[in-house]
Formats: sequence, C-alpha cells, structure tokens
Amino acid sequence: MTLSFKRALQALLLGAALPLATLAHAEWPTDNIRLVVPYAPGGTTDILSRKVADMLQKELGTVVVENRPGAGSTMATAQLARGGRGADHTIVMASPGHTIGPMIYKSLPYDPVKDFRFIRNVIEIPNVMVVPADSPYDSVGEFIEAAKNKEMTFSSAGVGSSIHMSGELFKTLTGTNMTHVPFRGSGEALPALLSGDVDVSFENLPTVLPHIQSGKLKALAVTSKEASPFLPGVEPISTIAADQGLGDFATTAWFGVIADDSMPDEAVQKLQAALDKIVADPQFLTFIEQFGGEPAEQAGDAFRQYVADDVQRWSRVAGAAQLD
Amino acid sequence: MEGMQEVLALFLSVDNFVAIGVGVLIGVVVGAIPGLTATMAVALALPFTFSLEPITAILLLVGIYKGGMYGGSITAILIHTPGSPASACTLLDGYPLTQQGKAGKALQMALYSSCIADLLSNLALILFASYLAKIALNFGPPEFFWLICFSLTIIVSVAGDSAIKGLIAASLGVIVSCIGMDMVYGSQRLTFDNFNLMDRVAFIPLLIGLFAVPEVIDFYLKKAAPHVRASNTGKGLTGGELKRSLKTIVRGSLIGVIIGAIPGTGATAASFISYSDAKRRSPNRANFGKGELDGVAAAESGNNGVAGATLIPLLSLGIPGDVITAIILGAFMIHGLTPGPVLFQENLTLVYALFCGIMLSSAVLLVVGRGVIRYFSLVADIPKEILLPIVLMFCVYGSFAVNNSLFDVGLMLLFGVVGYLFNRTGFATAPFLLGFILGPMFEDNLRRTLLIGHGDPMIFFRGPITWLFIVLTVLSLFFALRRYWLDRRQAAA
Repeated sequence: MTLSFKRALQALLLGAALPLATLAHAEWPTDNIRLVVPYAPGGTTDILSRKVADMLQKELGTVVVENRPGAGSTMATAQLARGGRGADHTIVMASPGHTIGPMIYKSLPYDPVKDFRFIRNVIEIPNVMVVPADSPYDSVGEFIEAAKNKEMTFSSAGVGSSIHMSGELFKTLTGTNMTHVPFRGSGEALPALLSGDVDVSFENLPTVLPHIQSGKLKALAVTSKEASPFLPGVEPISTIAADQGLGDFATTAWFGVIADDSMPDEAVQKLQAALDKIVADPQFLTFIEQFGGEPAEQAGDAFRQYVADDVQRWSRVAGAAQLD
Repeated sequence: MEGMQEVLALFLSVDNFVAIGVGVLIGVVVGAIPGLTATMAVALALPFTFSLEPITAILLLVGIYKGGMYGGSITAILIHTPGSPASACTLLDGYPLTQQGKAGKALQMALYSSCIADLLSNLALILFASYLAKIALNFGPPEFFWLICFSLTIIVSVAGDSAIKGLIAASLGVIVSCIGMDMVYGSQRLTFDNFNLMDRVAFIPLLIGLFAVPEVIDFYLKKAAPHVRASNTGKGLTGGELKRSLKTIVRGSLIGVIIGAIPGTGATAASFISYSDAKRRSPNRANFGKGELDGVAAAESGNNGVAGATLIPLLSLGIPGDVITAIILGAFMIHGLTPGPVLFQENLTLVYALFCGIMLSSAVLLVVGRGVIRYFSLVADIPKEILLPIVLMFCVYGSFAVNNSLFDVGLMLLFGVVGYLFNRTGFATAPFLLGFILGPMFEDNLRRTLLIGHGDPMIFFRGPITWLFIVLTVLSLFFALRRYWLDRRQAAA
C-alpha cells in the first residue's frame, strides 16, 4: 500500500513535471515571428520584407510584418535593441540606414555592431553614378577633371541616404568640390536630375534603370565592386577611376535580417537556414531582379563584419563631410 | 481596329471589374476612418497583388487610391475629423453644414464634385499626359519656390475673421514644422534631444488632434444639451445646387490636375488653393467657412482632381508624384513593367486597357460612394454623447497606427488641446495646418534653389514659369490686402 502510494506520488510528480519538460524542449519558434520594417509601407524595404515574410512563413510558421518607421530606421532598431519580452521572436530588416543612422542621429541608445545578432544579409543593390543625357561628361574621368575646376551639384533622396553618402564619399576621395542638394525621397530628386538642375547623382539602380534604358540619363559607373548584370558595359567606379583615387570606392544598398543580442542560438540557426533556402529559391531571385538586386552572401559573423566595415566607412565620410 | 480589340480583350475581364469595385470600396471605407489613410491601404494591399495579372493588380491599387481620396471627406463632414490630410479643407464648410442639419447635401456635394473632378483628371491623363509631363519636368526648385509662395497667400482666405490671427496661427504651424532634422545639414532643430522628435512631428496625429479632439473637449466642457434633432442628414442635394457649383468644380478639377501633374506638391495644397480661388470668386464670400456648399465642392474637386493627374508623371516619366504613386510604381516593377516612355512603346495595349479601367473607376466611385454615404450619414444622427467617445477611440487608434508609436498618441492629445485653445481664442486652425504643410516646402525649395544656383539669387527669375507664379503671388496678395482694407472700411462705416 505504502509502496503503491509512493509510486502514485512519483507518477503524479512526473506527470506534473511533464509540461515543464516539453516547455524546456519546445522548439523555437514558440510564438509568431515579428518582422519589423523600419520604414513606412510601400518602399523597397517594405516590399522586400513582405516577400521575405511570405516565404519565411512556409519555413517557420506565422510571420507578422510590422512597420515602425522613424528617424531614418533608427526608431525601429532602438526598439529592438531594448530587448525584453518578445525580443526572441522579433527580427528587423536592416539596411544602410542602420549603419548611417548613428552618424546623423546622435545619442542613439545602441551600438549598431555590438548590440545585435546578425542573421543574414539578403540582397544587395548597387548605386549608379548618373548624369543627365545632355551632360557634357561621358566618363568618370571627364567628370572628375571638370569638377576640379567647377563647383558641381549632386542630388540625393535626403541627408544620410546611401545616395547622399555615396556622393560625399566620391567628393572626399577625389578632392573635388561638390554641393549636396537634398530632396525628400528619390521621386522628388529625379526631375531635378532629368532636367539637368543638378549635375550628377549616385542613385539606387532600380530608380534610374528605366531612365538609363530610355536614354534620358547616362550611366557613368556603378558603385559596387563588381559590374551589375542589369547594366552591361557599365564598369565599377573602383575599376575605371582607380588612378583618380577611387580604387577603394564601393557602396551598395543592402538589406539583411538582424535581431536583438538576446535571441537564442537555436533561433538564429533556424532563421539562417530558412533564409539560406529563400535566397537560393529561383522564385525569390526573379522577384529581386525587379529591383536590380542580387542575392547577398554574408551570414552570422561575416555579416557582422560587413556591417562593421560599413559603419567605419560612413563614419570617415561623415567626419569629412562635417555632418552634425 | 485590331489594337482596339486587344485593349478590350485585356480590359473586359471579371477580375478587372471586381478589382476596381473592391479597390474603390476599400479606399472609401479606409479613407473615412481617421488615421487609416489610402497610402496605408495601398501599401498593405500590394502583397496581395503579386499573384494577380498586372492590369488587375494596378487597377485594384488605383481603385483604393481614388476611393481613399474621396472617403476622407465623409468623416470630415460628419464628425469634423478629416479621414485623410487632403480632406482637411472639406471640413471647413462641410462640418458647419452638418451642424445646420444639411449633412446629406454636403456629403452628396462632396461625392459629386469628387467624381466629376476624378473624371476630368482622368481625361487630362489620357489626353494631355505628354504635355503635362513636360511642364512637370520644367518644375525645378525655383519654380516650386514661387508656387509655394503663391500657395502661402491663400492663408488669408482661410484665416477666419482676423487676418492677423491667421498669420500668427500660420507662423506657429511653420515653427512646429521646423522640429526635427535639418534638411541640408542633418542637424537637430527644436528636438531637445528627444528621440521621438528627431524625424519631424508626424502629420496624422497633428491633423486628428487639431480638428477632431477640440470637438470632444468642447462638448464635455460645455456639457452641451444632448442631441435633440430627429435627423441631421436633412434633404439631398438638388440639381440646381449642383449646377450652381459646377463652375467651381471644373475650376477646382483643373487646379487639381495641374498640381497633381507636378510631383511633390500633393492633394492637400490643391484642395486649399481651389477653396481659396472659389472663395475669392464667390458672391457668398462671407458665408465660406460657415457652411457654404460651394466650399465643399471646391475642396473636394481640388483634391480629387489630383488623383488621375498624379499618374501623369508616373506613367509618362516613371516619376512618382507622391507616396501612393511610389507604391504603384513598385507594383508595376514587381510585374516586370517599367512606367515611363518605354511602357508606351512596349505595352501600349496595357496602357490603354489601364486607361479604360481608370475611366471606369470614376463611375464606380459614384456608385460605391452613393451606397456608402447612405450608411455613413446615419453617423450624423448618433447622439453626441455616444458618438464622441467612439470618435476619440478612433483618434487614439489612428494616431497610434501611423508609426505604431504611443508618443504620437500623446502628440495627438497635445494638438487637441492646442486646437481647443485656438477655437476658444478666435484663431483659425486651418492656417496653422497650412503653415505646417507649406512651411517645410518653402524652406526646402528656397535652400535647394540657392544650392543649385551656387548662391546666385538670379536663379529665382530664370524662366516663364517662375515669372508666372511671381505675378500670381503679387496679384493674389494685392487683391487679398485690398479686400481686407475694403472690409475694414466697410465695417468702420
């Protein structure tokens, strides 16, 4: 009797502990995954994120997309870095705003490299150095020569955009005198470039590609290290203007998934595996082609290093450009 | 003839008709809910269009856009809460009409003027796209600068009883618009190191706070007598009333078309310019702002006139004129289409089928609008003690939803108090709003002009468009001052 009572107690205790045991071994994700888009609905980051979420859903269960725009994407990352409840199921689609933001918005409550887990870079889009069709300059060399004697203007989608920073980098490396003319978004900036109100721009490829194809803009070079398959015959700046001090010139817009540093290893690995699969999917490749984008490769530490390099580059440029 | 058949074959599909109908309906309903804008609805609908045929996808988005542009007027008229920024001007006369028990007339006037303007705007898109696109391309920073100067002169016409108070309100609006990052240097202005202010003050919370919340505060402070009128909707619009406003609607549509064709100005400015123009011409000038049907017609035709025209720079140049068209551009690209001259060369059939759909959307707007206002107008009859808490709930939700930010809810409440104080002290809120919208545009274009001109002020006078707007600005100021002076003399006598 005593024995059976003991047994029964044991069984009862075991039974009580069972849910705890399953909880301990419950596989991530135990909840919906939240993919935060740090920009307003409708932009490239948003469209891309929704596609990624859609495909991620098939791998890992429900993914909810949430837009949290503000202060050039830093609002969303600041919230992510705060951690806390739900941080182990929250990911952010980061982009150059993540590395440029700290130069523009002082006193950010986080370190863009140390405070996050870098899951995987997903897509890279080059910028293109473009001039109006009737511009007298047909090559990067000619442009630099002219810019040494004449003050040029370059347009951008706003202070701190990758377009602006590419222009500042060009200016710093070539020692030319160029004035930055900021607009609010590429939509506003384009007419000024097409009509020749500004001399040059380092626009994102998808924005200017149709205008290059229709002959309204001349592409002088791409800003990535390699030529883009979407612009055959247009060489990277670092190749064609290496003698003019632009051998190190490389800027690309990138979009990658990051998380708070409290995210468990298991989650990071699962996300990485799922993203690897997505990036290799032909359907996804066709999709990103519309943006002139190419699949990125960096994951984990390589991605962290990629971001760290980006931060370093922009902080040098911001220093030279005396951005507040 | 063969081309025509191809166009019809592409256009005449059930999917397209459903897309337009559903799009317009979503747009009208979302547009009518404060804080939920057509922009948001278009962006959220985008992923659902990935699997649709290109033309169906784009017609769905265009339908939402057009519906949203009109939908904002419903709550502006009924509960003094602009559903979207562009309908802020509609409430100036729309809400007083509701208070007079003429909500039905105001709602119908808003609907008919929206549909007529939408139709005219579509026609402009189809017939004159290439000409208007050329004008758009000639609109550089100096031209913009003078256009904004001209727009600023309309503050006088929405200033209420005192021009001086109007100017003070507008200046306060400009000051609030300065909060955030400096456009050229990236430095922080008036942010007091508050992270939430570093971008700029969000527009939707300000809009909702300024117009909707004061009504709520006012009601509870005054403890006004509960609603007794049996119906606030009143009679519908008569043919005569619509006919009287027809000229205003056509003029408003044209203003909308021109503003819409120029990227970056927007429907809000168009509605105020149209309103100011109508007020200046009207024999009932004194009644504007107190419940003038012509005022509703002017505001709504101004903002809906923009709807078709913003597609002009998008389709003919590949340049999105506002956020919504930027999203529609994204939709084109996802389907492997590139708006711009190339589209007309390579996909002419699709372009014309699209035009058919866009024309149809105006008619659908009329049908959907008539159905929707029948139900929405019941709102006017809900007793205020029940309605206002619901309005306040939408205010909180709407201002939160824009950025998912509680700070914005606080901002909305703060501007609610500001709006209430404005009303109590005889300051009009519309000039504050205009200052807030036009202030940054003025500053941006002034600085851009000087940057591209390397500091030479002669660039401000560089061509016929700049001179046109200089002359318009001077004339507008002259007439406004003359009227102000005449009115004062009349009052003194």
